[in-house]
Amino acid sequence: MEFHPLPQPEEIPERDKEDAMGAYLMMFAAVAIGLPLPVINLIASIIYYFINRKKSRFIHFHSLQALISNIPTTIINWGAVIWAVTIFLREDWHVTQEFWAYLIFAGVSTFIYFIINIIAAYKARQGKMYYMLLFGKMAYEAAYRVKQEDTPSSEPVNKPPF
Amino acid sequence: MRSSTLRDLLLLLAIGAGLFVGGYILVKKFFKSDFDLSFKVSYEQEEKLGNLFKDLIWDQYQTVKDNAADSAVQQIKDRLVKALDTTAYRYQFTIIKNEQINAFTIPGGNIYVFSGLIQAAESPEEVAAVLAHEMGHAEQRHVVTKLMKELSMTAIITVLSGGDPSVLAQILRNVIGNTFDREQESKADQFALALLEKAKISPKNLGRFFERLNEKNLDYDENLEILMTHPHNDKRIDQVRKYKTKNDFKPEPFQIDWKKVEQSL
Repeated sequence: MEFHPLPQPEEIPERDKEDAMGAYLMMFAAVAIGLPLPVINLIASIIYYFINRKKSRFIHFHSLQALISNIPTTIINWGAVIWAVTIFLREDWHVTQEFWAYLIFAGVSTFIYFIINIIAAYKARQGKMYYMLLFGKMAYEAAYRVKQEDTPSSEPVNKPPF
Repeated sequence: MRSSTLRDLLLLLAIGAGLFVGGYILVKKFFKSDFDLSFKVSYEQEEKLGNLFKDLIWDQYQTVKDNAADSAVQQIKDRLVKALDTTAYRYQFTIIKNEQINAFTIPGGNIYVFSGLIQAAESPEEVAAVLAHEMGHAEQRHVVTKLMKELSMTAIITVLSGGDPSVLAQILRNVIGNTFDREQESKADQFALALLEKAKISPKNLGRFFERLNEKNLDYDENLEILMTHPHNDKRIDQVRKYKTKNDFKPEPFQIDWKKVEQSL
């Protein structure tokens, strides 16, 4: 498997660095809208990814990493929201120890995700790569792998008239 | 999948599992057991709340006192309350002069039955069945729980600290037109069936009364309020039918002249 060479920070335009950083800031989308629904961050990340991925491989990598790293926390937080709603619908609001444990798990996971995203945004702004566990490799492969359409075909399409 | 990706995935899952287990151990250490988050209204507060409602009902409805119907209802109450093992309530049953076929419970063990329901019933046992069902709602604290859920905390504090009349009137409308959920209705039914058996009243009377109202409902009757406030279905009637009394169960009919009761209303 072949990969495109990684650009060095001085080769990346400032605009690309800003756009790459912006991908990680989508985690604040729900806060900006004012709704406690974790899915809003994911939707914002998806939209951001599809708008920006074609701009450069550097932006593609960071926006994809931001997007896929958002999925587990979204699922975990949705779990917490749904569980909390089912408790609220019960007449006694019976809260189990498992629910509290899950809340701690969801809270700590979100906090870790938040810190890692801040670090990733900072690195992206500096024009550096930052690989998160698992998601970094997945995003790198998707953004930098040499695909067939990237290599010029042996038969040029446009040819001189003589 | 690359081996390093697989390793990352396993590591991530292990971190997640570790966080959950760590959280669980932490919770076990600090919380001894599960608990309910609902704001509990004490029986004293419930009684106070009930008294506020009673004053409002007194203002809005005409009640029936000191006649054959009232004495019949008190007789039914005595039998049902005696059959309760323990209760935190001082039950009060009151008849409201109104054509509606309905009964409702307000906080504090105060149960109201409309004269329309007594007239629609064919025996004191049927009225007892409906009242036992209402006692089920009271004993299982359905009214207070529902009020707590539907009202804002501010409204509850207003009520418990003395009560703004306009807020109270709104809440009262809510209580009278209260619809409980299927689970609460079913629990109140189960409670009523057991209580009726203990009080030596045939539990079949509950199903019988509702079945008759069901049939009556085919010709629309606007007074059949009980069908709206106690939504029931074949499943509930089935539950009554399936209820098995003990082999030695022997009902003791009320010594009440039902004709006289009906005439007194």
